[in-house]
Amino acid sequence: MACTNENAKLIHKYLDEEMTLLEKKKLESHLVTCSICERHLRELRKTVAIIQSASHIEAPKSFTDSVMSRLPAQPRRNKWKT
Amino acid sequence: MDAVVKKIIIEVKKGDQQAFSELVELYKDKVYQVAYRMLGNVHEAQDVAQEAFIRAYVNLDSYDVNRKFSTWLFRIATNLAIDRIRKKKPDFHLEDQVAGTEDLTYYSQLASDEELPEDQVVQLEMQEWIQDEIMILPPKYRSAIILKYMEDLSLKEISEILSLPVATVKTRIHRGREALRKRLKNE
Repeated sequence: MACTNENAKLIHKYLDEEMTLLEKKKLESHLVTCSICERHLRELRKTVAIIQSASHIEAPKSFTDSVMSRLPAQPRRNKWKT
Repeated sequence: MDAVVKKIIIEVKKGDQQAFSELVELYKDKVYQVAYRMLGNVHEAQDVAQEAFIRAYVNLDSYDVNRKFSTWLFRIATNLAIDRIRKKKPDFHLEDQVAGTEDLTYYSQLASDEELPEDQVVQLEMQEWIQDEIMILPPKYRSAIILKYMEDLSLKEISEILSLPVATVKTRIHRGREALRKRLKNE
């Protein structure tokens, strides 16, 4: 955990690249001196990298045919609505 | 919106049911991926993803053509997946047994087909482990994390899909990241 809740919030903001240059500089200088916050940021970066390393998944081959065979003959349309 | 998608939708609305298969082809992998990541089970993922397309077809008249079709489709799919999770686990807790671990997963199905070289086995185990970690997240954080990091969607798009303010989406992503960090930091 970061050294304070406030710094934990700032670390997330930093990670999302939503900081002004000044806020960024301020946090970066804190990170140099605070190993707790520095580790927190490192762990979050690693977490994101792990999640992003998940492979892309493809639908089964028969997917489109299955959907098409299950479609109702006529979509329920409100005929009076144009 | 994408002109090709718009054209297909107009065709379908005119009554050309077959044209709908082009929409399914375009979006099936993305919709299936969201369903699988949310549910962690190939059978349920297929069920929910197919149902999402059927509902999209039936309700196509209520789709606003000026908005992004994929956003609308993802919204249908994530709502169906969340409904499915609610029915399965009415009182979901972090410490509950991981849903789907006893079940057939995408990767275990792949792995059983043939003997794989060592590095591929390691890769499959890694992939199963990531999915298990995703499944441990409470569904409201799970959906935000999946849409952000697995579908690479913008916060604005995620907020439209989940019908939540952008600020709430951010909070959910932050909390999801924290929950995952606590479990993954020693890996």
